[in-house]
Amino acid sequence: MPESIVRLEGARKAFPLPEGGVVTALGGIDLEVEKNEFLTLLGPSGCGKTTLLHAISGFVELDSGRIHVDGQDVTDWPPHKRPVNTVFQNYALFPHMSVAENVGYALSIAGTGRQERTKRVDSALAMVGLKGLGNRLPRQLSGGQQQRVALARAIIARPKLLLLDEPLSALDKNLRAAMRIELKNLQHELGISFVFVTHDQEEALTMSNRVAVLNGGVVQQIDTSDKIYNKPVNTFVASFIGASNLFEGRLEHSAAGAKVVTAEGDAIHCAATRKTEPVTALIRPEQFSLATANPAREASLDVEIDQVVFVGSVFELYCHSASGRKIIATVPASEAAAVNTASQKKKARLGYDPAAVHLITTKDAEP
Amino acid sequence: MTRVGRRIAELSILLGPVTLFLAVFFLGPLIIMMIYSWLAPGLYGGVEWQFYPHNFGRILGFADPAFEEFDPVYLSIFFRSLKIALITTFCTLLVCYPAAFQIARLPDRWKAFCLFLITLPFFTSLIVRLFIWVLILRPTGIINGLFLWTGLIGKPIELIYTDGAIIIGMVYIFIPFMFMPIYASVEKLDWSLVRASQDLGANGFNTFLRIILPLTMPGIIGGMIIVFIPALGNFIVPAVLGGAKVLMMGNLIEQQFLYARNWPFGAALAMLVMTAVLVLLWFYVRYEMRRGGDAAVTR
Amino acid sequence: MRLARKIGNAALAFYTVLFFVFIYLPLALIVVYSFNADPINMMNWSGFTVEWYLKILGFRTTISETALYLESTPQLIQAVKNSLTIAATTTVIATVIGTSTALAMYRFNFLGKQFYRVLLFAPMLMPDIVLGIALLIFFVGGGIQLGLKTIIIGQCTFLISYVFIVVSARLAGMDRTLENASADLGANEWTTFLRVVLPQLTPGILGGALLAFIISMDDLVITYFVAGAETQTLPIFIFGMLRRGIKPEINAIAVMMLVFSFVIASLGLYLRSRRR
Repeated sequence: MPESIVRLEGARKAFPLPEGGVVTALGGIDLEVEKNEFLTLLGPSGCGKTTLLHAISGFVELDSGRIHVDGQDVTDWPPHKRPVNTVFQNYALFPHMSVAENVGYALSIAGTGRQERTKRVDSALAMVGLKGLGNRLPRQLSGGQQQRVALARAIIARPKLLLLDEPLSALDKNLRAAMRIELKNLQHELGISFVFVTHDQEEALTMSNRVAVLNGGVVQQIDTSDKIYNKPVNTFVASFIGASNLFEGRLEHSAAGAKVVTAEGDAIHCAATRKTEPVTALIRPEQFSLATANPAREASLDVEIDQVVFVGSVFELYCHSASGRKIIATVPASEAAAVNTASQKKKARLGYDPAAVHLITTKDAEP
Repeated sequence: MTRVGRRIAELSILLGPVTLFLAVFFLGPLIIMMIYSWLAPGLYGGVEWQFYPHNFGRILGFADPAFEEFDPVYLSIFFRSLKIALITTFCTLLVCYPAAFQIARLPDRWKAFCLFLITLPFFTSLIVRLFIWVLILRPTGIINGLFLWTGLIGKPIELIYTDGAIIIGMVYIFIPFMFMPIYASVEKLDWSLVRASQDLGANGFNTFLRIILPLTMPGIIGGMIIVFIPALGNFIVPAVLGGAKVLMMGNLIEQQFLYARNWPFGAALAMLVMTAVLVLLWFYVRYEMRRGGDAAVTR
Repeated sequence: MRLARKIGNAALAFYTVLFFVFIYLPLALIVVYSFNADPINMMNWSGFTVEWYLKILGFRTTISETALYLESTPQLIQAVKNSLTIAATTTVIATVIGTSTALAMYRFNFLGKQFYRVLLFAPMLMPDIVLGIALLIFFVGGGIQLGLKTIIIGQCTFLISYVFIVVSARLAGMDRTLENASADLGANEWTTFLRVVLPQLTPGILGGALLAFIISMDDLVITYFVAGAETQTLPIFIFGMLRRGIKPEINAIAVMMLVFSFVIASLGLYLRSRRR
């Protein structure tokens, strides 16, 4: 417990619908945010990630459950008392105040003296790269600059935790990429935890120490990016993050190893395992390759090619197996020759390493 | 006819009537009134066409005693009118703001219904709404009646024919005028700014003072202007609720025109009121222009 | 902490209720009081009666002072007639001129447009007493006899502005691309106006007309100055009675006027919400 900066226990929240009935936004969530970590809440719309964020900041009152910030139970505390600050999705910069006044707002409320305030405002602005823009009005700034003002405003009060509600979604692609790096650096520099909400998985995977995948108000999996991607615990996480090829079937064991056999007859070889129950095998598209360097070690799958799409650094192969199951494979551009041959023949043999096939136990399969 | 020619013809037809009407029956009379204020009053009513600045002198103090006496009572009535109009404006503001704030946050159905309820009295006759207060405030009215009945006082207190009665009457009448601009302003408020303020540590009071109030200020100022102007020049409310005792500029002007028959002097008094209004409007326009865009900076 | 917020919200809600009570209680009181047999003391309920209403409507009763009060009835009837005539006339004039002005501002951009905007707002921003005496000077100085005509003209100066604002608002909310679509499909400007713009504009025009009618019926200050000695409208009649001394019949008249206004206003607002 001393390790975590935020702890939620059994957080539950349901919202009433206008036509009657309720929608469960948070279905009993237990979550710990560690100190100095960058945690991303990821999930489709309506999964509860924004509600969770608001519960931490205090704008949503839980129906049941407790929230602890830095050891204190803040469940009943109103937002303005919590040592947590938010970067809002629409920035919410005060239009009638200058940038400096916006940034210094929290200090002004806390009664910090003018000299100290000015010093810290300047330092916060410098930290986000907006030195010298203190006298401007928010409407005179570009979108990217406004976002940094929102950031500076939220960090100046040295909160224990910073919440970011999809802050990058209005920025164009290049700016987003740049901001991701900056946010990550900022988090290191400040040494406080960031809880970041997004529906963009690439963002989640690249920026975070850990990712919490939510669906239907429940945390599906909370793990490092690597594990989320390579070892998803259920089919929802598997298919939400990245493209996936899923094969559900029964396990057959043999001396050479094990394989998953689907109802239609596709067989996917995997590493030897003690499991016996039905499983779902996951093969990511990039795990396939056309060039067979070591046919003895690898397993293969024969497919018919429907479409080949060139995306610059990779080729996407849309195919189907003998049983008609759709399969996506991506191969690097270096295998162009093999791709050509395959697409002419309309057939290919996809190779993969059975040891890298991840098995999802079917009992966890339904989220 | 050419295309341009047709457009000019169309514009003239559409705009002609109002131009003619307002020029003749609005601008014209105002200009004539301004001229009258500088003329001398005729012996039996009417005017004499000579330059006569002494009307203003009588009011403002630089009179030539051969023609007119400076009487400070006119200035005192003017200032009293200003005072009453200001108090009325502030009282109306205080009465309307909380209600507008609350109603603007209601769900749509309730909002529409409440707005309907508030604008409805606006459509009833002014004189009827004033009459009600005569009945309520007079010695045999309900307030005195209640006080007497509960034994709080021994005999009726004077509620009507006081400054207070006039202010109550005007507040009652001007509520719809103040309510609308404030309501519009509160409705346009971006509540994410309120949440941001709370998030940054400001409690309800601070949030109201630093965020909500400044951002609804345009509505407040607008409402104040819409109430102050008719309040200043009002003569009905003082006539009905002030009796013969309380005089405001409006009553003074009415007197000059319908009783004293000194039209130039009356016109001069009216010019005083007009000037005050124009000065106020000038400041308001400058305030509006300086404001520029205040919508919350969002994407 | 949450409690503080809940108390705050409850206080606001309670205040708003008080607010409405403040607005409507006097109105309710006057309705109740109009049935009170005691003509002097509001607090003293001496019995339910409709005699005040009957007196207004011209029925003789057994109370001996009846004779004095009935004199005012023909005057009252004439005042009502005048008010209605004036309101009808001004409504027509103001609606026509106001609508055409709104159309002009909507369709054209021209030099001096800002000036016109200011000009149209001016009559409403000015204290009405100033306008009233200016008109009085104008009419008398110009030798025009004061009476119904001068009242009509005087009222139109600001009624045009009201209609203009209502119709302009309606025009502003209209989808301009509809006119483009109409032209694209072959309709000329006049046809487009008749078949696309006007039908959409009608609720706004009716709204403006209704507003003008109500304001005209209610106008006191301007009318007071330009009516002359012989002509009375309903508000002037009541104003005069108030100055001369309160009689219980005023109460009955007031309630009848209230009901009338309420019905018209409700009708107007109801129509407005339906047409949308």
